[in-house]
Amino acid sequence: MVGDAIVAEDLTYRYGQLLAVDHISFKVAEGEILGFLGPNGAGKSTTVKVLTGQLQPKEGKVTVLGIDVAHDPEKVQAQIGVCFEITNLYEKMSAEENLKLFARLFGVPHFDAGALLERVGLEGREHDRVEEYSKGMKQRLMVARALVNQPSILFLDEPTDGLDPASADNIRKVILEERERGATVFLTTHDMMEADKLSDRVGFINQGKIVALDTPHNLKQQYGKRALRAQVAGPDGDLESREIIMDQPETAGAVQELFGREKVVTIHSEEASLEDIFIDITGRGLTE
Amino acid sequence: MSWPIIRALVAKDLTLFFRNRFFAFISVLGIVFYIGIYFFMPSSVDEALDIGLYAPVLPPIFEQVQGEGLSIELVDSVETLEEGVTEGCYLAGIALPPDIMEKLATGSKVTVDVYFAADTPQELKDAVTSLIEELAYMQSGQMLAVDISEEIIGPDMLGRQIPPRDRILPFFAIFIILTETLGLSSLISEEIESRTAQALLITPMTIKGLFLAKGITGVSLAFGQALLFMLATGGLNQQPLIILLTLLLASLLVTGIGFLLGSAGKDLMSVMAWGLPAMIILAVPAFGVMFPGTVSDWVKVIPSYYLVDTVHLSANFGLGWGDVWQNLLILLGFDIAFFGLGIIALRRKLT
Repeated sequence: MVGDAIVAEDLTYRYGQLLAVDHISFKVAEGEILGFLGPNGAGKSTTVKVLTGQLQPKEGKVTVLGIDVAHDPEKVQAQIGVCFEITNLYEKMSAEENLKLFARLFGVPHFDAGALLERVGLEGREHDRVEEYSKGMKQRLMVARALVNQPSILFLDEPTDGLDPASADNIRKVILEERERGATVFLTTHDMMEADKLSDRVGFINQGKIVALDTPHNLKQQYGKRALRAQVAGPDGDLESREIIMDQPETAGAVQELFGREKVVTIHSEEASLEDIFIDITGRGLTE
Repeated sequence: MSWPIIRALVAKDLTLFFRNRFFAFISVLGIVFYIGIYFFMPSSVDEALDIGLYAPVLPPIFEQVQGEGLSIELVDSVETLEEGVTEGCYLAGIALPPDIMEKLATGSKVTVDVYFAADTPQELKDAVTSLIEELAYMQSGQMLAVDISEEIIGPDMLGRQIPPRDRILPFFAIFIILTETLGLSSLISEEIESRTAQALLITPMTIKGLFLAKGITGVSLAFGQALLFMLATGGLNQQPLIILLTLLLASLLVTGIGFLLGSAGKDLMSVMAWGLPAMIILAVPAFGVMFPGTVSDWVKVIPSYYLVDTVHLSANFGLGWGDVWQNLLILLGFDIAFFGLGIIALRRKLT
């Protein structure tokens, strides 16, 4: 039976008067990838900081791997890996030195930095100083550092933000490999495509509250509207766009009317994206 | 708290310190430079007595005593005499009264004004007094009552006649230690600003462990280099235990100051902006040793005074625990205060 890797109950955090996380409760199962989506300032990073023991909750309780994080953060931190949103590597040290330092901090015996660097595509550059790396390389090294102790839970904060497609793909591949290994992944992002591709479930956080939490499929079923999108030739030959909402009583008539009255050039069905659903629920976009 | 973790962090900090070309350069060059300067400076004291003399009527005996370690230069006014003493041209200035010859001849009391520089040792003052009495005796052929009016220009300093190189020793020792304040605070500020501290604190490394590791790094850098300097210059020949303890306490002090500067600064430039004024203030007491009379009692509020004074007294005069224990106790008090303040400031910054 699969247990819960993370349990948050009534979790609340305030920065002075500002309520950053507002009484949220959720569970993440062992081996699950949970995508945690929300716009900037929604409370994603604060939630991660509380879950990883960097901040103490003002109210509520967080249990990670069965340990109360507020009481024993060091014990939790020994079993997790964290990839921060902002690069924080030792730039004057090489990739290998960075990884070896953290392996020593975690007390990992017989650590093989080369193998880990190969996994993230940094083989051959292990002795170069990090200051000579591109942004994508640094981000891959950040992910590698989070894996040094073979964590039971991996917290990834915007791991592919601003990366080239190749680097982003490499990181996504590693995330899926980690799930195969049995690790739980808490993925914070505002990239709904990435969350959709990788996550078993996604949680929407807005203004410190979780407003939806389910599988991407269920959310689309529950909130999304399927549509037909057509391109038609206008009177002067220019292409114009038409949209017909599906699964409605009037859908069939609308399709018939479209083909009867207009010259249809292309037509395809379209599924609601997570961003559409987020906007539908919260009235604001993920990138706001 | 795990020692392998502390060791790993200390090793990392030392690696990064010496990869910073600026700090690596000033650390190595500093030691070489200070040792070089030390050996370049005179190792003996110039014992020739340069004396200024204002004498409206010059007794013949004064013309006869030139040479053999005594150099007398005649000046034309008391003001010139005072100026010469103040500027260090003369160790002492003697002003004879216009009626000296008559008084010596009649055996009546003669009043002679003698001007001393602030740092004139007591032995020298006694020597000049005896010289005047001796000259009066030689001139008149009998013991005469000579009333010597001593005037000190600036604060008086007692018995500090040591070679210039030894006088400068505490200054170099403190400067080496102070330089490491900048290195440590730069390491700390970089750790905060680049957010690597955040990454460290999400491993089994605790905040206490982080402070301990930074403390060990700071003390090792400062103490190690000061020790090298003292070994190379023979500064440990007298009272080595006292001097070693003093350097250790001083290293703790600058580590606490490094914590404060590191939490105040954002990068190397801002660390320098905060650190250089702090260094200058902390170096002031050392000037008091190098140039006696240039600083007053107020330097005792500067923590480094107790470091400089102890190194000076023990290394240069061989004074023991009984003479310097108060200094060491006060230095320890400053250590605790600055370390405590540094930890509070750094903890606030990190959390």
